[in-house]
Amino acid sequence: MKSKISRRRFIQGTLAAGAAAATLPSLSLVAGEVEHSTPSGITYAQNWCEMCFWKCGLTAKVVDGKVAKLEGQKDCPSNFGKLCAKGNSGVFQLYDPDRLQKPLIRTGERGSGQFKEVSWDEAIKYIAEKANALKAKYGPETFTLFAHGSGEHSFVDLIHIMGSPNICIPSYSQCTGSRDIGWALTYGKPVGGKEPVDSENAKCIMLLGRNIAEALHVGELQDFINGCANGAYVIYVDPRYSKTAAKSNKFMMIKPGTDTALLLAMINYILVKEIYNKDFVENYTSGLEELREHVRPYTVKWASEITEIPEKDIIEAAEKLCAAAPHCYIHPGRRLTRYGTDTQFVRAIAILNALMGNWEQPGGIYRPVPLKLDQPHMVHDLERVEADRADGAGTDFPIASTDLGLANKMMQAIAEQKHPLKGMFVYGCNPFHNQGSTETVEKAIKASELIVTCEIYMTDTAWYSDVVLPESTYLERYDPIIITSRKSGYIQYREPAVKPLYDTLGGWEIAARLSKAMGYENHFMDVREYNKEFLDSIGLTEANMKKHGCLVGAEGDPFPVASGAEPEFHTPSGKAELFSSMMSDLGYEALPSYEAPPMPKGDEFRLLFGRLSFHTHARTQNNAWLLALHHSQVELWINSERAKNLGIKNGDDVCIVKGEKKSNPCKAKVVDYIHRDAIFIPHGFGSVSKMLTRVVGVGARDSDFTSDVTDPVSGSAGFHNGFVKVVKA
Amino acid sequence: MKKKYAMAYIVDRCVDCKACMVACKAEWHVPDEDFRTHIDTGKSPDYTDKLRLHFLPHQCNHCDDAPCVTVCPTKASYKREDGIVSINQKICVGCKYCIVSCPYDARFFNHELGVAEKCTFCLPRIAEGLAPACVTTCPGNVRVFGDVNDPKSEISALLRDAAEKHYKVWKLRQDLGTEPNIYYVQK
Repeated sequence: MKSKISRRRFIQGTLAAGAAAATLPSLSLVAGEVEHSTPSGITYAQNWCEMCFWKCGLTAKVVDGKVAKLEGQKDCPSNFGKLCAKGNSGVFQLYDPDRLQKPLIRTGERGSGQFKEVSWDEAIKYIAEKANALKAKYGPETFTLFAHGSGEHSFVDLIHIMGSPNICIPSYSQCTGSRDIGWALTYGKPVGGKEPVDSENAKCIMLLGRNIAEALHVGELQDFINGCANGAYVIYVDPRYSKTAAKSNKFMMIKPGTDTALLLAMINYILVKEIYNKDFVENYTSGLEELREHVRPYTVKWASEITEIPEKDIIEAAEKLCAAAPHCYIHPGRRLTRYGTDTQFVRAIAILNALMGNWEQPGGIYRPVPLKLDQPHMVHDLERVEADRADGAGTDFPIASTDLGLANKMMQAIAEQKHPLKGMFVYGCNPFHNQGSTETVEKAIKASELIVTCEIYMTDTAWYSDVVLPESTYLERYDPIIITSRKSGYIQYREPAVKPLYDTLGGWEIAARLSKAMGYENHFMDVREYNKEFLDSIGLTEANMKKHGCLVGAEGDPFPVASGAEPEFHTPSGKAELFSSMMSDLGYEALPSYEAPPMPKGDEFRLLFGRLSFHTHARTQNNAWLLALHHSQVELWINSERAKNLGIKNGDDVCIVKGEKKSNPCKAKVVDYIHRDAIFIPHGFGSVSKMLTRVVGVGARDSDFTSDVTDPVSGSAGFHNGFVKVVKA
Repeated sequence: MKKKYAMAYIVDRCVDCKACMVACKAEWHVPDEDFRTHIDTGKSPDYTDKLRLHFLPHQCNHCDDAPCVTVCPTKASYKREDGIVSINQKICVGCKYCIVSCPYDARFFNHELGVAEKCTFCLPRIAEGLAPACVTTCPGNVRVFGDVNDPKSEISALLRDAAEKHYKVWKLRQDLGTEPNIYYVQK
């Protein structure tokens, strides 16, 4: 017998881009949909992947009550049927005995790893009493939250109910904050989590450390590989020859920290040679003359000396882009927390893109097709707290997002205790790894009177918490339906493939129980009830979602400008702002300049870190299937000449040293193709939690050695000004 | 005509993400430390001037004249009609001759079961009309699988296209006379 789940796109109606909130038109199942009989013992469940945050649609195959395999949903526009190594390893995570299995309350010193197993009732009551006492003593603003993941809104809503504005989603300050601010200052809207670069149709692509092959978001990678196959000329700029470099036509090894100099010289060259997209620049941008004047000193010769990239290569890159314009793009990046000058770096990227006139053009920047639907609220009577935040978002950093907050500044504020921030909640993230300074995290932990972490594993942060709440994994829970936009707008559905293996709950149920125990009367919807209400409002049923998993609800033109529409920019001038009037008004430099970051001295290296294709953040390192891909070894990339001087040979065990601190050993990967100033390690290793049994003490924890500088515009962190030495273990 | 299953890798599209390795592991409960497919990294000889790394998947080549079949003392390893080299685990005695005889290092010893193990081209999946797990999951669409005796198959079309356009097409160690059935295509 044959069983297949058809996930055919069945909504053919098109919502006009930019249309007001509407329900899906003319919903009807496509004729010919056939129900296949299912062999006994085999069922299928729909989900989106939570092994990273790209949210690939997937179907879980369940055999005799056990998840046997995960496969991508063919028509889900996030991944078109594919899953990466991380996605495939979700099965191992589900059945990993290292998972948190019961609520835990700390019994020993923080960090001792001594906990007792308790019931949910006991854990909830304990937290509620402690939290209410803190609130009575210090006021509601005493609570802080660090949250990331599909369930993050459960704890976001809870903290609003508890009365605190101090909510941080680290994906802003620790990742894309500077990028989205720099882009929004230029174009009037942020880049967004599904970067709208049209790699498939691009004739030329320039990436400045955007390591698409190893950051590995499936849809983004597919587009990029298709673009390469379609003949895009790829210029890859990085101090290190990554796997993305291997797909490039031109690899430019840049001296780390000098990328803005490269961009400014390219802008200058393009303006002097008058090879920019004149029609676009003259009609749809503002500040050309100021820009021209401003970049005059930034010559190619000057940039070549700073970046160590030959002049001819800089010129060639500029000319290749211009020849391809408007069907080209310079990638705005993703995690741009490098040198504390990242917003201005992105401004330079945005300006260079504007000179290409690639806005809403094939091969350039596309317009995501929105699916605008009225969604119900999980908490009906939620009043969002609008008080001033302790991290300075909205005040010290007036254009930093107050919704997402500044996780870096919040952690510093907790450590410094200028405000009595005593109750720390953590959901699905791991400040010991995502903050630039583990000392700051340690101080913040010492200063806190209550630390609650909701997680699926005993992360380093959970290890130091007072209460650890085990969450059900994505394969064991419902979550509210999500709406996603790429070149179409679509909804994605999550249902449990199996019942929770252990004594765990989903984030929403945990938040609801906490809220109730604390005495708040807000009503949390049940997730299924929410999904039903949402689906009812658009004429769909749970059965539709169980069948398809992902449904496309809006199709439209992602290139309206190419189709003749006038470009629209929600900036003060209504144009793409080469000269940023908002920055000028706020007292920031309205045009980007090159500001040299501090440089390593003597035998120091600049510590760079990033992703491997098969790990996410500090979340997946303990997964045995993924660890086997690299034999549990953590490589430290080091330049061959520098290594030789230090007597380090390929494969040697080496440690990172900074002052008194020394990392666990890593394996030296001695290569010519990393800049001599830098070493590189993969992120997420070196955990101290002994309940991550396969990776405790394995490799270096980058956050012990990185910098924690602050970008003055976005307020985001800068990690790459950390200078270290390397010694043999 | 008899089927002749084969696989091609469009190597330009591979980014060494290793999704294939984990999908295969999940599909076949491959022991944690082992894999039935791998990705090797190769350097162009002139890499110091014009640096280029290549990512080259590999797995069982399902050879027409397979050394593993030749050396197997119990005939546990055998060549099927459809071209797939298979292992009958019931009569495998775990002597490991096949493992050392394979010039492609495609086999390993499954310590849990005490038998040799390798890629099966996902036989049960193809019987169901599905592509092999590595093909289905590959984010780069590197892998193309099918019947090279069927001119309408995707792999036949790819190989025809490659011949017409003079893409570089090769197989591993053809000098050994093993007649492998994995094609490497570089556009």
